[in-house]
Amino acid sequence: MPKRRDILAIVLIVLPWTLLITVWHQSAIAPLLAIRKVCHHLVKEILIIPERLTVHRQRLADDGTETRHETGPATDSKEYCSQDKDIVEVVRTEYVYTRPPPWSDVLPTIHVITPTYSRPVQKAELTRLANTFLHVPNLHWILVEDSQRRTPLVTRLLREMGLNYTHLNVETPRNYKLRGDTRDPRIPRGTMQRNLALRWLRETFNSNSSQTGIVYFADDDNTYSLELFEEMRSTRKVSVWPVAFVGGLRYESPKVNAAGKVYGWKTVFDPHRPFAIDMAGFAINLRLILFKPQAYFKLRGVKGGYQESSLLRELVTLSDLEPKAANCTKILVWHTRTEKPVLVNEGKKGFTDPNVEI
Amino acid sequence: VKLKKKKACLSLFFSSTALHLIAFLMQKMCSVWNKLITELTRLSHTFLHVPQLHWIVVEDAPQPTPLVTDFLAASGLTYTHLYKLTPKDRKLQEGDPSWLKPRGAEQRNEGLHWLREMGAAAKGKEAAALEEAVVYFADDDNTYSLQLFEEMRYTYRVSVWPVGLVGGMKFERPVVEDGKVVRFHTGWRPNRPFPIDMAGFAVSLRLILTNPQARFDGDAQMGFLESSFLQHLVTMDDLEPKADLCTKVLVWHTRTEKPKMKREDALQKQGLGSDPDVEV
Repeated sequence: MPKRRDILAIVLIVLPWTLLITVWHQSAIAPLLAIRKVCHHLVKEILIIPERLTVHRQRLADDGTETRHETGPATDSKEYCSQDKDIVEVVRTEYVYTRPPPWSDVLPTIHVITPTYSRPVQKAELTRLANTFLHVPNLHWILVEDSQRRTPLVTRLLREMGLNYTHLNVETPRNYKLRGDTRDPRIPRGTMQRNLALRWLRETFNSNSSQTGIVYFADDDNTYSLELFEEMRSTRKVSVWPVAFVGGLRYESPKVNAAGKVYGWKTVFDPHRPFAIDMAGFAINLRLILFKPQAYFKLRGVKGGYQESSLLRELVTLSDLEPKAANCTKILVWHTRTEKPVLVNEGKKGFTDPNVEI
Repeated sequence: VKLKKKKACLSLFFSSTALHLIAFLMQKMCSVWNKLITELTRLSHTFLHVPQLHWIVVEDAPQPTPLVTDFLAASGLTYTHLYKLTPKDRKLQEGDPSWLKPRGAEQRNEGLHWLREMGAAAKGKEAAALEEAVVYFADDDNTYSLQLFEEMRYTYRVSVWPVGLVGGMKFERPVVEDGKVVRFHTGWRPNRPFPIDMAGFAVSLRLILTNPQARFDGDAQMGFLESSFLQHLVTMDDLEPKADLCTKVLVWHTRTEKPKMKREDALQKQGLGSDPDVEV
């Protein structure tokens, strides 16, 4: 027959540990934390609860300062078991929408270079891209804006996302921007931005350092599977894989022979390019970038579809390429494009409140 | 006596509200190059961050397709895979503009039907948990921020918020005065009962279970699909405004372009199309 004091002892031992495990588990993902102070002194040692838990909602005001406001009815601090002064249930609400992805000392960092520019769908594209990146460990996002100054929209987005990032900007001069005339072939968007990111990498990382890293150029409207990032992590020089929805085909792919070497390109559009591959179809080892500091994307005089070649031919030969994605038979990245939204109802003067950020 | 009280308080500790997302998937006319998997991939990446999310996927198909089945199984999400074929006369044909017929009514109703069956079968604790749940209709090519799901989690009846890039405008939204929705800011037919996009509201499961007649009307006029459902459930007065009293855009009505497959078409004609075994 267990004695009353035995039961009490067991409860007092088991309860704080249950709390500890549950709170640690939930705090990473749940927006609601219910913390109970059963025995004031015991819990304090384990959980380090501040003296007074107030219900608050953190909201960044427009000028960047943090202000605290008391929230509505659902999250008041309550005393459920009010009879007993020792038992107080306090509900603390902290709005955590994301958690930073894990970071390991062993995995090579993937430096993802994304050029971006202001347009109505920009925030949406960056949001869903970030939602993907948040799952990838050891990812460093280098976001380069095509603008004169870093915009508040992107600054705020990056800060709130929780990713490891570097925010750069460089404005493409007007005469380089996309032109539809027949004299000047269109210069692909994002070239100067990608080059700036390459320069940043070269300035930041010492070529002698043992830092392992992979460089990948990710446009903001493509779709990336999580498996892709793990495939590219083992890149020694330059790795390649198929890309869906490019070149007017279901997918374009490198041709891989029985020995596992790339010998050609399975494309319809100019398969005789040195590297008939889309920007999303290859990744480069950081060491190679640092080792060849003169290699950049060519700005002028580049024929349509030759942009990728302009960089890659300075870095590798065809036989050096490492095929990934099951010897280039699996699709892990899709060259999707988002429709330009129809904004006819805005009219000339604009119908909606311009202060609301979209 | 002291012990009993402690146990009761502990059960509150573990409660968290479940979100049931009904997403219907359009089966494209030419399935060779459907972009379904890209939408599913991006959606799953977003949904994986959201705690207590249950994804109800309803395919517009006569039976579950292997592509979706395999994808969902590998996704790591909690899901229910349903299917309901749209009758031929209601289906969009090749070349039809996307707004011609209301899309997804049958599939959303199928999702509602499943939820109601689950509600009827649930007892005790499960039934109590269902009371707390929220239903959101998530179209597959929209973009959702993670904050949106937390905003909708505590919905008593129907909660609403702005939607970006819809209705021919940067955003559409309910206009809130004194904490209540008084009208809707929209550039297109503001006199509809609920001029709000499918992505702009969430409904508590309790409301759906207590109103078994509420469903989407597949014959509704263009733009009236949402109204056909909501008018059975709530009045404008009862709407709960979220997203900072409807001043923040947390969801965007993006649309993914149909991939251009001219060369693929040409090759197919010559019998030289890309390997169909490679799943795109």
